[in-house]
Amino acid sequence: MSALLDVQGIGKSFRGLRALHQVSFRLGAGEILAVIGPNGAGKTTLFNLVCGVHAADAGQILLRDRRIDGLRPDQVCARGIGRTFQIVRPFAGLSVLENVMVGALRGERSLVIARERALAILKRLSLADKRDQPALTLTLPERKRLELARALATRPELLLLDEVMAGLRPTECDQLVRVLAELQREAGFAVLLIEHVLRAVRALAPHVLVLHHGELIADGPAQQVLREPAVIASYLGASALGAEPPP
Amino acid sequence: MRRAAPLALAGLLLAYPLVAGSYGLSLATLVLYLAAAGQAWNLMMGFAGQLSLGHALYVGVGAYAAGGLFFHFGIGPWLGVWVAVACSLLVALALGVLAFRFQISGVYFALLTIAFAEFTRVAFDHLDWLGGPAGMFLEVAQRERWDLAHFRGPPAMYYYAALLLAAGTLWLCARLARSRAGYYWRAIREDEPAARALGIDTFRWKLLAVLISAALTAVCGVFLAFYQNSLFPEQVFHISRSIEILLGPVIGGVGTLLGPIVGSVVLTVLSDGVTELLGALGWELPGTKQVLYGISLLLVVLFLPNGIWPALHGAWQRRGARAR
Repeated sequence: MSALLDVQGIGKSFRGLRALHQVSFRLGAGEILAVIGPNGAGKTTLFNLVCGVHAADAGQILLRDRRIDGLRPDQVCARGIGRTFQIVRPFAGLSVLENVMVGALRGERSLVIARERALAILKRLSLADKRDQPALTLTLPERKRLELARALATRPELLLLDEVMAGLRPTECDQLVRVLAELQREAGFAVLLIEHVLRAVRALAPHVLVLHHGELIADGPAQQVLREPAVIASYLGASALGAEPPP
Repeated sequence: MRRAAPLALAGLLLAYPLVAGSYGLSLATLVLYLAAAGQAWNLMMGFAGQLSLGHALYVGVGAYAAGGLFFHFGIGPWLGVWVAVACSLLVALALGVLAFRFQISGVYFALLTIAFAEFTRVAFDHLDWLGGPAGMFLEVAQRERWDLAHFRGPPAMYYYAALLLAAGTLWLCARLARSRAGYYWRAIREDEPAARALGIDTFRWKLLAVLISAALTAVCGVFLAFYQNSLFPEQVFHISRSIEILLGPVIGGVGTLLGPIVGSVVLTVLSDGVTELLGALGWELPGTKQVLYGISLLLVVLFLPNGIWPALHGAWQRRGARAR
């Protein structure tokens, strides 16, 4: 069976700095896959290659067997990939509802329907009562949810989440994980998530990829991968080996 | 109340020529012309976030296209306006494609708009067919009765035309603001990469904003040609005319629908009124207008950074909230 997303041997260098090298993986429709790794491992670069922000130097990326590398970000979104940004980028001067409507207008002719859909998504993410506030008045956890709401509104087949849990308190994190899991079950989209919060990774992703210095060092079921010595070493340093696995 | 106020305002505006003297009428015509041109500029900057410092370009292209047709062939503005719009669209397309294809934005985009306006000014200085630096003069056959076919007539006719122009641009911009284009433009203005990630082809939508803005400004140019009856490249394309167009929306409130109108009223009435007052007192001070423009801009930037209209609107809403 063919994968939804098929990444084949992609590589990317920035002026001699090798950000990604020979990275390959597959993601099936409706599956959830987490990408973890220390800072500078190339996770965000991987996202930017998939989303068309940067062009890959090597390899190819296929979505439903059609190449998407070389497309512009808006074209990638039109093919069915939605994303969030690690450093949130709300449309600050627009209201919360308008922010989500911009996403909901993709592939939707009617403004009325786009508005209704945007409102429904805001309700799910507990932002409905803030709908008329300018986005710049939101707190960081709210902005993270707005980022997610906007991406969801484009009705993606594949959702790329770049550290949406970062900076959230554990209870907020658990709540967002719960909502995300619900939405994912209902709409059936696949998720590729970059996440440092292993609590969220364990709860959401059955499958984990580990990047280190731009290379894939582990790929497998979450429980197994998170125990691998190489993974623990990359995260916590070699001295941590023999100690307890990271929390 | 909400319906009565606009209706009363419309009635006042329609009845104005019956009571106004010739000075009052020309002042009002200028206000309405600047409101329309400012609205067009605001569509590009206030909505889509693309700063144009060369909007006199489209005024001039529109004015010369329709004016030239009338001057040489006696073709009236009703046909001329389409040619004017077509010409302005071509120029805007060249500018927009060049800028957005090569990802020119911000200050560099603004500089490009100045460059286009200046190049065009120099080019028209060498276009003898359109009068060159000596100017082009449209014949004024009569000023008594309304000759709508050739757009010749008394000042009241131009007042009504300017009123129609201002109302038309307001209506169109209000419609656009509430359409998909309005949402997309504001998203692009706020954060272009984020807009792209949501599937917006920013090249296409930015270009659309430039094209619509240019076309509307060219229509204002056609009006100007037939109202002023004389066109000089040095005047029409001069950067001070571009500044004049953008001062209204900047002072009134960038990105708002009523800002350009409020701004042009305040600016024109203030600067012309004071100049006139000084004249009546026997003081003819050249440059008063520019100094007043400068002072108003300074005051607004210092005390009302979002412009006059958002401040007024906010105060009105707070009053309403207290009343409840």
